[in-house]
Amino acid sequence: MKTFEERYTGWIDGKLTAAEAAAFERELESVPDALPDKTDALRLGDFLRRHADAPSLTNADFFSHQVAARIAAESGREVKSDRRHWWQWSIPQLAMVGSACLLLAGGLFKMMIPTGTPEGAGTPYFAEIVDARTDNPHVSATPVYNPKDNVTVLWLDGLDYLPASAQLN
Amino acid sequence: MTALRLIFGIAFALLITLPRAGAEDKIWSAVLLASNVAQPKAPPAELDAVCKRLRNLLGYNQVEIIGSATAKIDDMAEVQLAPTSHFSMDVKARRSSAKEARGGYLLNLQLFHDKQQLVDTEAKIAPESPLFIRGPMHARGQILFVVLVQP
Repeated sequence: MKTFEERYTGWIDGKLTAAEAAAFERELESVPDALPDKTDALRLGDFLRRHADAPSLTNADFFSHQVAARIAAESGREVKSDRRHWWQWSIPQLAMVGSACLLLAGGLFKMMIPTGTPEGAGTPYFAEIVDARTDNPHVSATPVYNPKDNVTVLWLDGLDYLPASAQLN
Repeated sequence: MTALRLIFGIAFALLITLPRAGAEDKIWSAVLLASNVAQPKAPPAELDAVCKRLRNLLGYNQVEIIGSATAKIDDMAEVQLAPTSHFSMDVKARRSSAKEARGGYLLNLQLFHDKQQLVDTEAKIAPESPLFIRGPMHARGQILFVVLVQP
């Protein structure tokens, strides 16, 4: 036994037999909107058949985004994207990234700034007097570096002579 | 979050693989006596590399150690060295960032003869590069002072 909806759909589509159609139309006499409804449905079907080609979308992603945004606005719910950009990270995430960057910077600093003697670097000579002062006005302090000998000596002139009786150690 | 894990991983690897440089540096100082003798002795082992050049510069054929002292140093260290009972040095050390210093130090060095200050100097020195100070003349020869950073 077909339901009313099945028979109604068959009646609109013209799929009922003549006997079935006549019986159903008698049944529809109590439904005044049935005939205009059938006329509208037939007109809509005809319209869709004539304009079946859907327009091609040139920006499908943008269109989808617009639709999603519209749905979200109308439903009051936020449409969440699967992928979040860095500027959308939460404070804890930003703090973690900041800590990681500091850690990395510290590691690179230790690696790039020379501390200690590089292994196998040999021992090229380097000693440089930056400044030298004496309290005694009769004593002068002069840095001496001879490129040929590659030795730096701070030369103190004017110091008192120490006799043999002066203990050294 | 994958990138975050990668950054943490690289940073951690860097930190654990880096050498703990400069933790055991020492400063060696000595009072030397340079003289001209008929049969010069072999130079001190600590100065073997530079003794010939020092002889060329000063004109002495023998350099001997009268006394020496050693102390551990690190960045911002302040040490007092007394190679002999009559000569001493106050040294303030800071790590030098100069490339030529190769992780050496910027030293603020005050040299004393008994209680009298002979000189106050600032010098950048690389490890294993001795700095010499030509001091007073003694009846037996020329007194020299040397400061050397040993890694």
